[in-house]
Amino acid sequence: MSEIDLSNYVVQVSGVSKKFKDLKALKELSFSVEKATCLGLLGPNGSGKTTMMKILYGKTLRDNPQVSQVSVFGYDPTTNELEIKYLSGIVPQEDNLDAELSVWQNLVIYSRFYGLSKKDYLPRLNYLLNFMELQPKRDSKIRELSGGMRRRLIIARALINSPRLLILDEPTTGLDPQVRHVIWEKLRLLKKEGVSILLTTHYMEEAFQICDKLIILHKGEKILEGEPNFLIEKNIEKYVLEILNLDHFEKVERKISVPRVEKTGNCYFIYSNDLEKLKQIRDKFSAGDSYLRQSNLEDLFLKITGRQLGD
Amino acid sequence: MINSNNKMIVKVPSFIFRIFSVWLRHYQVYTKTIISNGFPPFLEPLILLAGLGLGLGKFVGAIEGVDYVKFLATGIAVTSAMYTAAFECTFGTFLRLDFDNIYDGMLSASITVKDLLLGEIFFAGTKGLFFSSAVLIVLSFFGLIPSFFAFLAPLVGFLTGLMFGALSLFVTSFVTTINHFNFYFTGFLTPMFFFSGIIFPLNSLPKFAAQIAVFFPLTHSVNLIRALCLNKDNPNLFFDLTYIIIFILIFSFLAVWRLGKRIIN
Repeated sequence: MSEIDLSNYVVQVSGVSKKFKDLKALKELSFSVEKATCLGLLGPNGSGKTTMMKILYGKTLRDNPQVSQVSVFGYDPTTNELEIKYLSGIVPQEDNLDAELSVWQNLVIYSRFYGLSKKDYLPRLNYLLNFMELQPKRDSKIRELSGGMRRRLIIARALINSPRLLILDEPTTGLDPQVRHVIWEKLRLLKKEGVSILLTTHYMEEAFQICDKLIILHKGEKILEGEPNFLIEKNIEKYVLEILNLDHFEKVERKISVPRVEKTGNCYFIYSNDLEKLKQIRDKFSAGDSYLRQSNLEDLFLKITGRQLGD
Repeated sequence: MINSNNKMIVKVPSFIFRIFSVWLRHYQVYTKTIISNGFPPFLEPLILLAGLGLGLGKFVGAIEGVDYVKFLATGIAVTSAMYTAAFECTFGTFLRLDFDNIYDGMLSASITVKDLLLGEIFFAGTKGLFFSSAVLIVLSFFGLIPSFFAFLAPLVGFLTGLMFGALSLFVTSFVTTINHFNFYFTGFLTPMFFFSGIIFPLNSLPKFAAQIAVFFPLTHSVNLIRALCLNKDNPNLFFDLTYIIIFILIFSFLAVWRLGKRIIN
């Protein structure tokens, strides 16, 4: 501990567990977020991502706070929840905008929670509306906004107090590709300005686009950690051939030896570093029955966490 | 920005300011539709006075030397405070908690659960103040308030709002479906409306019933407001006030403790 320069780490978590009745949501989780970087928590539903996020800002209390450690800007959420929330912007999974207020009023009321005076919040809110491309919607009711606009507004709201850390719980779930790309671009801009980001996501592409480091969680445990590219290189074959026609496959399988195969109800996935070998197999199928591509984070994710539904 | 323990030094808004900012949120939402929200507190006392006071009053005449209309009207000023605070902190709170995720959003800013719930109680008090003021304004318009001290009466409305705000939050902490509130409204508030000296004086009840009525929080609000509005001598004013303040403190504590546990898991 003493060797680490704390000021370079915005978040430090070690040995955190959480139990809900009989369910162990988190088991001895440890990680840290370096300044001005983005850490992504990946995992299927129920893997403990959201629980971990909530523990950071005191919405959920961790088990045995004496033996585990959580530090955000040097503060422990069990005792200094307010300081942490003052320094962090939080974007929760569910929409929780105040539907009774307009876009502008939502932002003003939130500025008040941080104790900002009119002189301070006016320029800030106008800047944020422009930044999130919401200026034309300034006086709209929340009900009139699309899902993408609401998300952007929630992110704008989280940015009011110029946070040094952004905590984003599935920021782009359910949004169309245009909005997702806009949000990713904004997050990259914020990172350049020195904001640290911690996010959870299901989207492998999202993790790839903005995360400097990834942690894959499964049933409350960390099972992999590393840079996105490095994780793929190290843990999964380079190429994958998807077979969509099962009947035919069994005939082929008898004739040639195939590398590692994963099976689901309707498809087979054949993994290999040997592209030629996969091409050879592919040629035995008609074009519509197979698909040869580079393997990606999603393949890794499925390999690690399994293909069956978790909940 | 960073001190010797590597903590970033920050100046979080003060406790009072945080409660005020929660209050401000409710105030803004409430006044957004002030015409439709401000209409009932003025109309309801008019209807009650016309229906019960003028109609029934003819048969009743005077109670304890006071015209029945005046007797009833001053009581209505606190029941309207009671009902508005109770609605705000049962149905209102439940919706903000479970359906609209409003609390969730507020708790992502630098606000604690305690700030949130105390702000809620404080706003219930404010609504109590507004509702009892509305009743008193209507009454003085008809010349039904003889006492100079009636200008202090809205404060009783405020205290009544705080009492029922805190109590209702505590009740809400037990509720898992919105229908459960029926028990509270019909099982507790309605009997209290009839048995705390608003419609008839408590000394006309059998002794045991009158003794039970002393435990009702509303009874003490009624005692205070009658003393202020009707110039009635009341040797127990200090007891009434003490009861109200202790009630507010105890139930605020219980509400923050129970609902807090439900919001933070």
